[in-house]
Parts: sequence; structure tokens; C-alpha cells
Amino acid sequence: MIVTELKPLNEILELVSPYFTVLIAGCDGCTQPPRSIKEAENLSRLLELGGRHRGKKFNFKVTTIPKQCDSHLVATTLGEQLQGIEAVLSLGCGAGVQTIVGMFPDLTVLPAQNTLFIGAEDREGGLMEERCVACGDCLLGLTGGICPITRCAKGLLNGPCGGCSNGKCEVDAEKDCAWYLIIKRLEKQGRLGILGEIRPPRDFQTVIRPGRIVERPSQEVK
Amino acid sequence: MQQHPSITYEDGGKAIKGELVEPTAAVKLNESYCASCSLCASLCPFEAIKRDPETRKMILEIEKCQVCGICYSSCPAKAIDIFYYDLASLTRYLESARQEYNSDTLVIACKGSSPDFNAVANLFGVSKFVPLSVPCVGRISGDVFLKAIASLGINKIYVLACDDNYCRFERGSALTGRRVTVLNLLLEQLGFGKDVIVLKRNSPKVKADRDKCIRCGSCVFYCPYEAVKLNGTEPASFDLELCHGCGICVAMCPAMALELEGWEREYISALISRLCSQMEQPKILVFRCQWSTFSLLDSDLEPNVRLIDLPCAGRVDTFHILESFAQGVDGVMVAACPEEDCKLKDGSREAYHSILALKGKLDQVGLGERLHFCFVAPRYPQNFAQELRRFKEKLEITIKGG
Repeated sequence: MIVTELKPLNEILELVSPYFTVLIAGCDGCTQPPRSIKEAENLSRLLELGGRHRGKKFNFKVTTIPKQCDSHLVATTLGEQLQGIEAVLSLGCGAGVQTIVGMFPDLTVLPAQNTLFIGAEDREGGLMEERCVACGDCLLGLTGGICPITRCAKGLLNGPCGGCSNGKCEVDAEKDCAWYLIIKRLEKQGRLGILGEIRPPRDFQTVIRPGRIVERPSQEVK
Repeated sequence: MQQHPSITYEDGGKAIKGELVEPTAAVKLNESYCASCSLCASLCPFEAIKRDPETRKMILEIEKCQVCGICYSSCPAKAIDIFYYDLASLTRYLESARQEYNSDTLVIACKGSSPDFNAVANLFGVSKFVPLSVPCVGRISGDVFLKAIASLGINKIYVLACDDNYCRFERGSALTGRRVTVLNLLLEQLGFGKDVIVLKRNSPKVKADRDKCIRCGSCVFYCPYEAVKLNGTEPASFDLELCHGCGICVAMCPAMALELEGWEREYISALISRLCSQMEQPKILVFRCQWSTFSLLDSDLEPNVRLIDLPCAGRVDTFHILESFAQGVDGVMVAACPEEDCKLKDGSREAYHSILALKGKLDQVGLGERLHFCFVAPRYPQNFAQELRRFKEKLEITIKGG
């Protein structure tokens, strides 16, 4: 899922302070935990309390959208709710914020979150870690399911750099050496042979940013 | 209980003068009466009482004691002293309540089986009665029932307990069932008629609004009893046989799709509103696990403090805490059982993490000092009052400074 983090409340207050009637829009989609309706309610109260301190009053409304990154869902969910709204404060990721503006170009849409990475949640461990950098040429089949592009600080494709110490990376001792993990994993699976093949440098142009996929050519409305 | 007129004790703020003050422990064994029959040891759900094999005396390990009162209610030699709801205090309460409520019907409800007496009244079909709310009916000895009937003018007793497998003190509910059966037989033989005591059971559980489920899987992860599953494309489904009514899933659900019977969101919101309007400043609202500390029957709270008792600290929802601040409450205190004492496995721990995270957010708007989290246990009766006093003092300083 897309891992996001709530912006510091002072920063959000700065963003919303020019406005009075603000619609806080949650997202039921993939962020973990989902910043859905409860989060929107809680944020409205936190901002009200923060506003009191600055002598600023707000009129917050709250809603939630099944997926903020889906233009149709955004249009149908928000369409009826924008009467009198001066700005929308989005609890979605960057894609969500931009989708809302895309559907309602005259609307001021503000982000309440910082979008960080594509990751997985380790519930037991209580942490979320980056797992994928969307390189566009997935090689997880060749590395026992561990991504060296994401998890190796140097993005090496053909084995460890030699700086690994006790299974930890020399760049950041808090993090595992991805290649240590890969080798251990393949060893356990009896597939170390895969590493015999040397891989050429990565193609950095698999996806020319900003990425785009055309699902079907747009049709003219008759 | 000993009389020390010169020492005062505060429970929630009111001094109870002239009464017992000093026990540091809520339960004590009185050696001079004890016959070492071991009945207490055999009934204690927490193995807090044991017979020492060498001295053959009964030993109480207070750190294991959850103050369920089962030992007290069962001891044939009256060799156990308990700080809460002992025969003397229950008698006093019933005497005055009998007058106040002007009824010969007594309704005893376990806190775990219902949050208040409105629902209980409907369940039994009574409108006028003397209410007695206790944490676990297992602590009510046969003496209390008989005394109420024989000398306090009570003619009918309704008892609402949890189901046996729901009882937070493991044996309290089952024990009550047997007690009531035996007492009814006795009372019938003594000419008081059939079924003088009516026992019903209620175990509040989760209610899921499947239309609101966003299938995030939070409830599946947080449930300590694995009572929730997320299958295929269906909304989360709950096995009510396994549900223990802790309310953790309710507090964690991001879509507000879950409710806990008896402690629904609207119920708590209405309670917050009502209590807020009653309080004087500086308003302190306490969200309390109802097993972490027990109110005395005759204690009042100070005019600026009010309590909301919840079935588990895990039910404490950040939503309600923020709602309280929005309504003008000046300080919120959350009291939970120590982690190892949590009757619902993970409730205390989840509450701790949740409140800590909220405190971090409140810090960002300068209100972090207004939220206090503490662990309290009923085995040390002064715990709660001490924490409350400490919070009050800190709050006063915070308010003056801010």
C-alpha cells in the first residue's frame, strides 16, 4: 500500500487558515491505516482545537471517498458535497489530492499528508517498510522475493557490496543488508544457483516519469 | 474495618472521615478467624490464595489478586476483609437506597453485563427498584441476599450477570448461578415463595454494520480472541461465540462500522455531553476501565470530575477523547489495568499505544498535557485517587501557564 504520514498539525493549520468552511475528505483505500471517516473526524477536532489557540475558527465538514485515486469515485462521492465549501483538505496520498483537483479544477485542495513510499505493514512488529520503488522491471523472481533495488541502499543488482556487518547495511545500521537476506533466502530454498547469472545494469527508462498507461483510447462524446 | 477519625482518605476527591483508611491492600486474610479450610484457594480464579505446605496457613499474594471478591463471598469463617462492597457497606447502602428509591425490589447488575440500569429495567420489566451495580456478582455472598430479604424489606431480587464464559473473573458468574439456585430453594422452604431471586444473563458483544466495512482488516488483526475474519469479498464477519466484548475493534475501526452493545458511540457521546454540562471548571473527564478501580457505594466525586466506566480500556476511542476536548473538558484521564492484569488480553496495551499516539498529536497543538494515561489496579485502593490528584495538580499548573 501507499504509506503516508500526517503532516505536522501546525503545517496543516497554516494551509487551512485562509479558509473557514473546509471539507475534510478521508480515503478508504490503501493507506495504512486507512484515513477513513474516523480519521477525518479526529482531524477536524484536532484542527479546531489548534485553531482555538490561534484565535481562528473553522467550520469543518467531513466525508470519505472509497478511493481518492479513482476519478469516477471522486466525482460521484464529492459532487453533491461541495456546496459552500471553500477548500478540501485531503487525507489521501498525493495521487488522491491530484485526482480531486483533476475532477474539480476550480477547487482548492490541500494535502493533509506526506506521501512516503510503497510499502508493507508488519503488524506484529508495528512498523511499515518500503518494499517497492516502482522500477518497472520486476526481478523479484530472481532474488527470492526480496527487492535489492528498494532495500539495498546502493541498489546493487549482483550481490552484496562487502560492507555488510552482522546482516546490517553499512549505510544504515538499522536496516538489513538486502543481499544478505536474499542469499539467506535462496540458500534456504535451495536456489542459490540463480545468482550465478550476472545481470546487466538496470534500464532506468522502463517508465519515463511521469508514468502513463493508456487503458483505452478516449472516445468522443456524441 | 478500623476507625481512625483523625485520618482522611480521598476517593475521587471526597474525604471519608472516621472510616477505615489505612489498608494498602484491598483484600486481607484475617489469621485469627481462618480455619485453613482452603475454600478460598480452591475458588480463587487467579491462584492468588494458596495454602503454605509447611505452616498450613493460607497465604494471599496480593500482586496476583484481582479483587473479584469471590473469596470474600465464599469464606465460611468470615476470615477475609475486603475494601470494596463488603457486607457492612452493602448493608448500609441497601438501607439508605431502600428509602431513597422507595421500592421493595432489588436489582443487582454486574457492570460487565450492562452499562446502566435503563436496559436492565427493560430486561426485567421493572420500573421502580433499588439499583446495585457491582463489578462481578460473584462477590455478593448469600448473606447479602438473605439479609436483604430478611431484614431490609426487600421482597424480590433480580440479578443480571454475564454468561459463564464471558465473566471477567472467570468463576464469578457460574458461582452466582449456583448460589441463586440454592438460595431460592432455601427461601422457598422458609415460606418466601418460589423464585424470590430471578437471574438473567447478558453478555454485550460487538455489532457490525456491514455496509460500512471498508475491509481494511484492522479488526481482524486487533481482536485478541480471533473472533473476526475477512473472507473473499465479504465484509468482515464476526463469530459472536468467540467475541468477549472488549471493544478494541470498535475503537480501532477506521470506518466507524462497529459498535459495542451497551456502549455505543452515540451512547458515549450523549454521556460526554451530559457530564460536561454537569461539571464545574476545571472539567476533568475520566475514561476508566471498569475493572481497574471500583467506586465505593457511598463516595461522591468532586464537582469538577466525572467518570465514564468502560468494559475495557481497549474500548477507549480517540474519537471520544477529542469530542470531550471539543465540548470544553479541560483534562482527560484514561485509567487502564496494568497490562498483565488486563481481563481482555490486549485491551490495556492497545489503549496505551493509542493514547500515546493521540498525546503526540495533541502536543502539536499545545494540549498534550491535558491528556493523562495511567495504570491502576483495585488491589491498591488509593491508586486511582492518587493518580487523579496528581493529574489535577498538573492540570491546574498547565491551565495557569497556558
